[in-house]
Amino acid sequence: MTPTPTRRHGQQAIIFVALLLFCLVLVTIQLWLFVGSLEAHLRGNRAMSIPAAIISATVFGLNAWMYFGVRRIERQDL
Amino acid sequence: MERRLQEEFPVSWVDDDYVTRREFFRFMTLASGGLAVGTAGIAAWSALSRESRSFDPVRIASRAEMRAGSSLAFAYPRSTDLCLLIRRPTGEFVAYSRRCTHLSCPVDYQPDHDRIYCPCHNGAFSLEDGHVLQGPPPRPLPQIRLEFRGDDIFAVGLMRGEA
Repeated sequence: MTPTPTRRHGQQAIIFVALLLFCLVLVTIQLWLFVGSLEAHLRGNRAMSIPAAIISATVFGLNAWMYFGVRRIERQDL
Repeated sequence: MERRLQEEFPVSWVDDDYVTRREFFRFMTLASGGLAVGTAGIAAWSALSRESRSFDPVRIASRAEMRAGSSLAFAYPRSTDLCLLIRRPTGEFVAYSRRCTHLSCPVDYQPDHDRIYCPCHNGAFSLEDGHVLQGPPPRPLPQIRLEFRGDDIFAVGLMRGEA
């Protein structure tokens, strides 16, 4: 059964909001990583900064992938 | 008048305040990129900052001037950087910054306990490598590298300890 355009649009909106919330959670994690690695560096502990940078870059990659994915879907709909 | 204002400022307040979900998503992705760059910057800063730095040698004292279990205050590398040269009961010479890593109170040598003590908040540091033995200091005391030239003791550099 093929969904009607209105129903499909509603589903897309729900997915968009879910992705947006997920993106918010990821940015909050990145903020926590940034503050944590800065505090650790100023305390003299250098072991944490490189893993934090790798995780933060990975999270950014995920966010960028989601953003461009959403844009691609929107373009296909137009 | 209203018409003229609309011509001058053609942007509608309603449209101006409206942020679409896509714009918000883009803003969050940019913020994410900014945080990733910032965290990478901290990692680079951390990797590039040197553990040990050398400065011009400065004579502190001669070995004969210091008996075992005594200490001597000096300034290194700048005249405002207070340090402490210590001759331990074993005869070994060590030197540390005199500024507590908690709130910069001047620390003192305690020969009875063979440790460096901060009277402000009961912080204590080891004489082995300056690590924190007790109290609130968050990191070790920076150690002064010493060099012996004949009977004279020279300060030649500064080492930062790992927390």
